[in-house]
Amino acid sequence: MSLTLKGHAVAPGIAIGRVHLAERNELDIVEYRIGQEDVENEIQRYRNAVDAAREQLVELTAGIDPSVAVPAVEIIQSHILMLGDSMIGESTEEHIREELNNAEWALQSQLEKVLSEFRSMDDEYIRTRGEDVTQVVRLIQSKLSDEAASKPFDNFPDRLADTLVIAVELTPGELAILHERGVAGIVTEHGGPQSHTAILASSLSIPAVLGVHNARSLLKEDSMIILDGGLGVIYADPDAATLERYRGVQQEAERIRQSLESLRDLSATSFDGEQVSLQANAELSGELQQSIDYGAVGIGLYRTEFLYLRGAPPDEDAQLEEYRSAIDMLNGKNLTIRTLDLGADKSSDALDFSQLRRSANPALGLRAIRLCLRDTGLFKTQLRAILRASAAGPVRCLIPMITNVQEIQRVHELLAEAKKELDERNQRYDQDLQLGGMIEVPAAALALDQLGRYLDFISVGTNDLLQYALAADRGDEQLADLYDLQHPGVVFLLKHILKEADKLGIPVAICGEVAGDHRYTRLLLALGLREFSMHPARLLEVKQVVRNTHVAEAREAIKHWLDDPVLQAEISLLQLLDRAQTSY
Amino acid sequence: MISRNVTIINRLGLHARAATRLVNCASDFVSEIIVKKGARAVNGKSIMGVLTLAAATGTDLTIEADGVDEQQALDAVVILISNRFGENE
Repeated sequence: MSLTLKGHAVAPGIAIGRVHLAERNELDIVEYRIGQEDVENEIQRYRNAVDAAREQLVELTAGIDPSVAVPAVEIIQSHILMLGDSMIGESTEEHIREELNNAEWALQSQLEKVLSEFRSMDDEYIRTRGEDVTQVVRLIQSKLSDEAASKPFDNFPDRLADTLVIAVELTPGELAILHERGVAGIVTEHGGPQSHTAILASSLSIPAVLGVHNARSLLKEDSMIILDGGLGVIYADPDAATLERYRGVQQEAERIRQSLESLRDLSATSFDGEQVSLQANAELSGELQQSIDYGAVGIGLYRTEFLYLRGAPPDEDAQLEEYRSAIDMLNGKNLTIRTLDLGADKSSDALDFSQLRRSANPALGLRAIRLCLRDTGLFKTQLRAILRASAAGPVRCLIPMITNVQEIQRVHELLAEAKKELDERNQRYDQDLQLGGMIEVPAAALALDQLGRYLDFISVGTNDLLQYALAADRGDEQLADLYDLQHPGVVFLLKHILKEADKLGIPVAICGEVAGDHRYTRLLLALGLREFSMHPARLLEVKQVVRNTHVAEAREAIKHWLDDPVLQAEISLLQLLDRAQTSY
Repeated sequence: MISRNVTIINRLGLHARAATRLVNCASDFVSEIIVKKGARAVNGKSIMGVLTLAAATGTDLTIEADGVDEQQALDAVVILISNRFGENE
């Protein structure tokens, strides 16, 4: 008999397969008292359990392929921090010492205190984080109950293809393990849309329905179910018609996925033969791997801020090591390293950053190259690291937020100094390291005929260029309709950049969000862009549009539109281009 | 002890990922780091403490650092927050 269950729709996708019920790991937490003389032993037993739990989580993060699951790694890292958090650790040890309780019980009492604090929060997201604390505490308790505790799902089959796992709840770590074994879908009794299980399932593309009450008693082991993650619905023992319908939907999704996959090794050439260079924006090694996997011909934007946000600024050798490992991964593909694009006063007391932020818009403040030219020591360290990296493979250097000629001249001076310093140390570098500028400031775009003379290439940062040109904060949802690449003024700016760069004979890349938004690909091609850099996950979609675009026809189509406000009111530029090209 | 005011400007506020980065950054230094929201003060090296601040975007915080490397620590934490924890939005 068929049965329909509903829960939270947290991760879209269709899964069809057999039910596997996960056993509930109930831990019996008992209270007992210990003697004064056993206190130190008990504390040591607690610390060992925390270490074992940490070891398990660290091992887990090491096993997760970050190119598919950056959020998984980050969530597990937050759990690792919780393991060592003073709100649990120190207080538990104190409890053992003062109340002479066993570690399990001391930890349990501490958990309840922390949970009551989380539950009292107004913010639903924060309240939900109490679940994470519970999961972390359960992990420690499981280690306490059995020092050689088995890893989760040891009794599960190695391969879970065509299997849907039904559990009371799943920790991020458990979900990562199920993902590696190819689980088709998951259902849990607890957990809502804000839970880490939800966030993770979505980022791992595992179809999931959470918060299905009594799922484990309503669904029978090995029975057939359909899970529709988009609707948050489960059909148990579905009838033949429903099954057939969902198989069709699933096959169609698979067909689309495969047709994109098949594009991976095809060239990005337009229908009328224009060659396009599709590159990726990346910073972490996972993104670099993903870029290679999705057929990027190079990294058009390698961000370096993460190096500076870990704590103390990295020294030259530490940076060099990061750049070299990226070069090794890319194996001969181009790497465009963008110098530090942070905003804040490094000189601390000289300027109070919070006041700077209040008195002015931070996007218009002391940041990126402006900041680097104030702190030339910091900047030259990075330039030397980039120069030394250039001896190991094809590297270009990109300067963010260039505004005027003086800035570029100053960068050239500092670059010359950095080269001289390396010469003195007998260290190798690419003598002809290419220096590029990011065009984000509208005035720089308009004065490109002057600025461009000092640059080997340019990269248009559309995120900021649009926000500055349209005077609309891109984070402000109330202004979303204003923040539009199709504004004739923005189109003019892009055309102007391309025209001036062409006169100077320097290549132009585009690296903002729109570069990876396939709806804009046709427009950007028509305007003359041939080098795109985007989030690696967008590469294949964009390549598909490139291959289906007749660039010359698209160019014709927009010519009239730009001069005709009546036509502009009638149809958007994107609609016009799609209509003109539906045949390809 | 030195301190500075800073506003949370990333879209999601001090959610788990941002809090993880903040705590990792603060833990890099020996100085004690206190994060204050109004009258509430938490240990900047405690992820649970930082999470329970429930600091949404737009929240004003005061960061205090006390110790031998307090200047570097304060700089690092303020830079991290004012650069949206390295998030793109």
